[in-house]
Amino acid sequence: MASAEVLALASADRQALMPMAAGYLILMSALGFGLRRLYRSRGDLSRADTWPDRARATPPGPGRRVGWAALARRVTGTVVGGYLLLMAIVVAYYFGIARVGPGFLESAVTGTALLLGLAAPVFAALSWLAERRARDRAEPGEPGQAPQDCRGRGV
Amino acid sequence: MARHPLLGYLVWVVLFGAIFAWEGLALARVTGVPTLSDVFRVIMRYPVGRWALFALWLWAGWHFFIRGWHFLLRA
Repeated sequence: MASAEVLALASADRQALMPMAAGYLILMSALGFGLRRLYRSRGDLSRADTWPDRARATPPGPGRRVGWAALARRVTGTVVGGYLLLMAIVVAYYFGIARVGPGFLESAVTGTALLLGLAAPVFAALSWLAERRARDRAEPGEPGQAPQDCRGRGV
Repeated sequence: MARHPLLGYLVWVVLFGAIFAWEGLALARVTGVPTLSDVFRVIMRYPVGRWALFALWLWAGWHFFIRGWHFLLRA
């Protein structure tokens, strides 16, 4: 029983984990290289200004709302809209192109919901931590403020 | 999990190689080549663009990590 599980794990290692790990390493190396180049080109800026998105971000327009409520509204709209769009595409694919299997639709609905349930809290927590770190670095000792723009950059 | 033919891997290598080459040219400041961040920033200005990108991200996660897999890789 145990050896069968070990064999199954070894097989999964070969077939899926190794290519995924290799792809992940290549992608992260490329992103790291790009970030190094961006930071190096801004070497004379202060550390707080070296975030590429913040330095290059467009300031919010005159009618644009800012703050945590606006961020939550924007993230919720993106999550709900993206989820519904993917479900529409999956259903159209299943009924219009190929009925790939009995569990396909159920897996699409529950699997992506599971991913959302895992990723959304992590995104919220990292966004809050990143904002708090940037705030502490910019104004040590002063009380906190709401984010200036409704763009999360935690992940 | 199905066995993938070598040609399938080659196509993916070429596609990802093209993406990395594009980003490399953009980071090398070749005129007229925007970085992927610039491209995504433009797409994410619009709600439909954000929905499409999020749907793509969700599909990739579902396809690679959820679909056809069992808890803790149990076969």
